Amino acid sequence: MLEQSGFVEIQIGPSCDTFGGAGGEAKARKYEVYGYPFLARKPG
Amino acid sequence: MSDKVMVDVEALREQVREKYRQVATNPAGKYHFHTGRLLAARLGYDAAVVNALPEVAVESFAGVANPFSPHPLARGERVVDVGSGGGFDSFIAAAQVGSEGRVIGVDMTKEMLQKSRSTAQLLGYANIEFREGLAEALPVEDGWADVVISNGVLNLCADKRQVFAEIFRVLRPGGRLQFADIANGKPVPEVAICTIDLWTD
Repeated sequence: MLEQSGFVEIQIGPSCDTFGGAGGEAKARKYEVYGYPFLARKPG
Repeated sequence: MSDKVMVDVEALREQVREKYRQVATNPAGKYHFHTGRLLAARLGYDAAVVNALPEVAVESFAGVANPFSPHPLARGERVVDVGSGGGFDSFIAAAQVGSEGRVIGVDMTKEMLQKSRSTAQLLGYANIEFREGLAEALPVEDGWADVVISNGVLNLCADKRQVFAEIFRVLRPGGRLQFADIANGKPVPEVAICTIDLWTD
């Protein structure tokens, strides 16, 4: 979707176990949900 | 990340507001996510930077990763923080860009705006401003920002395509989008995606 929105040079950083030990951990594990940093640039 | 709007946008927005109203006013409450300093450490934020902030600036932080990790902000840059919440990432951005830079935090929850504005005053940051608005209609002029940051917000927006279009609009040509969000490795059933409670719980 980032590309379709016009962004370029898209990078995804390493995953974080955002929900580990939190109340939402079970649901996060079920769907393999992790947090990620993203970087993208507007052409120009 | 689905580009289809599969829920009642206004109903989802109100439920998100209610959740983050609670996080603003009762940050020590029980949530399905971590908050505050524990979360910031978990996500790899610089401990010295976080420790330098007063508790009120950190306690309502509810991000999902570190949007500053891919690229540091430069002094003098103009930054928009989409879904700025209690202001934690905005305060870090304001420190990185310095007095010659500017930060505009945008949030739709009045309690979060009250908190971030009062904390900015407490910190004495003159280069930061918090505006009420939606991610889908950012109250920022075209091409103003060198960088747009966001943390754990886009997954709560029903119309992600519109949010990205707005971010694209407010960035200058060559500007960066640095955001943190969640992604799932296994597909979430459509029935779950259509259930608003599952977006916020």
